[in-house]
Amino acid sequence: MRALYTAATGMMAQELNVQVISNNIANVRTNGYKRQRVHFQDLLYEHLRRAGSATSDQGTQVPAGTFVGSGVKTVATGRVMGQGNLTQTDKEYDLSVRGDGFFRVRMPDGRTAYTRDGSFDLDSQGQLVTKDGYIVEPGINVPQNARSVSISSSGQVQALIPGQTAPQDLGQIQLSRFVNRVGLESVGDNLFVETAGSGPAIDGNPGGEGFGSVQQSYLEESNVNAVVEISSLIAAQRAYEMNSRVISASDQMMQATSQMFRG
Amino acid sequence: MENALLVGVSRQMALRREMDVIANNVANINTNGFKARSVRFAEHVQPVAKAETFPNRDKRVSFVVDRGTPIDLSTGMVERTGNPLDAAVRGDAYFTVQLGNGQTRYTRDGGFEINSRGQMVTQGGLRVVGENGPIEISTNETGVRIAEDGTVLTDQGNRGKLRLARFANPRDLRNEGSNLFSSVAPAQPAGPQARVETGVIERSNVKPVLEMSRLIEVQRAYASISSMVGRTDELRRDAIRRLADLQS
Repeated sequence: MRALYTAATGMMAQELNVQVISNNIANVRTNGYKRQRVHFQDLLYEHLRRAGSATSDQGTQVPAGTFVGSGVKTVATGRVMGQGNLTQTDKEYDLSVRGDGFFRVRMPDGRTAYTRDGSFDLDSQGQLVTKDGYIVEPGINVPQNARSVSISSSGQVQALIPGQTAPQDLGQIQLSRFVNRVGLESVGDNLFVETAGSGPAIDGNPGGEGFGSVQQSYLEESNVNAVVEISSLIAAQRAYEMNSRVISASDQMMQATSQMFRG
Repeated sequence: MENALLVGVSRQMALRREMDVIANNVANINTNGFKARSVRFAEHVQPVAKAETFPNRDKRVSFVVDRGTPIDLSTGMVERTGNPLDAAVRGDAYFTVQLGNGQTRYTRDGGFEINSRGQMVTQGGLRVVGENGPIEISTNETGVRIAEDGTVLTDQGNRGKLRLARFANPRDLRNEGSNLFSSVAPAQPAGPQARVETGVIERSNVKPVLEMSRLIEVQRAYASISSMVGRTDELRRDAIRRLADLQS
């Protein structure tokens, strides 16, 4: 019976749906996390009787054909790149982007990664680094005696150095944006890397068109909405149950078939 | 007596077909833009030679055949996603997309994205067609959004209008899989009554309660027809045994 296999594709799809939802819920408090969403599509159809085929010499036609589908497939688990809420932290190296840009991070293997999680710190050399110690590009070096570091909305880093009256420029934080942000590949640790699907990174200063501005002492929360996720979870669970109900009903139909003739 | 068996088998085949259709509906309960199908049965009267001169005339035997799987074109639940590139059609119209070979397909699944070349595509990567050809933006444009009349706007202006297609007889639409429909009859431009809602996505229109009730109905009908076929067989076996007894 085809129904068995069709329902099996439905169960597999819902299983993946639950996996993605649970990952979203697990990351509800992860800074800069972007929720994922599963997209499903129906599978191939068998056209048993085509609509519009002739039923007589007089030109009468079949009004609605017979189509039997064979289930569902997963086509994408794209991220929803909407803005997360900003929360105040009062830490001077906590940054957030209001807009579409990403911070650039140099990974230990030399590759460049991109992140929305701007909870940065200084390392022992005074370099601005992520919580994992990866250098934030293009590289900001804060002298040890610098006081009251301020980062403007256009990414300019300034600090007061004892003995000087004017604040000293320490560098410029840059952002990157992509034509297709959804095409970025997640590599864990709140980092994304560029793919052929995302297109090449376009670098620029915060405040430029499409990059967004930088907010100092604010962090971007994840854009997961717990209420939405829990309701999707319930819907996914019920859908899973209904598919398993189809399997057991098909099984009982086959059992009825095998018991039709008692020896 | 064979007739009872064959009529039973025709019913069983039809019920299995209905089960397959229900299974496909349930499997696609979370598929955006999916339209459920049901099954319509018809009586098929067997044109056999009849003996009508006897006092007990032959009765016509009729079988069950499945005549079609009509599509339910009602609008599915509309879910708010907040994604500016998600769109749903309000009214009796379809988005137009283009296959790699240039053929046209229609869909109600409006989860669109902009790919790395700046083309507007479906989740399956097919290009979305506007009134003047596929919709494309240049890679330095930002703030892409869809207006209520289907116009795609960026910060630098109008980038075309989504082509909404309407069909004189939408029940002729053929399922092509991947949330796509094709049509033999040419599509007509949708009137102004068809609108695009953005930031929302149209979910599947499968009604779980209906599908589950039909599932139970099919299952019970199948069990009862199976037991009828089984009894017919017992009857025949009984008859053979008794007739054989008499002879000995």
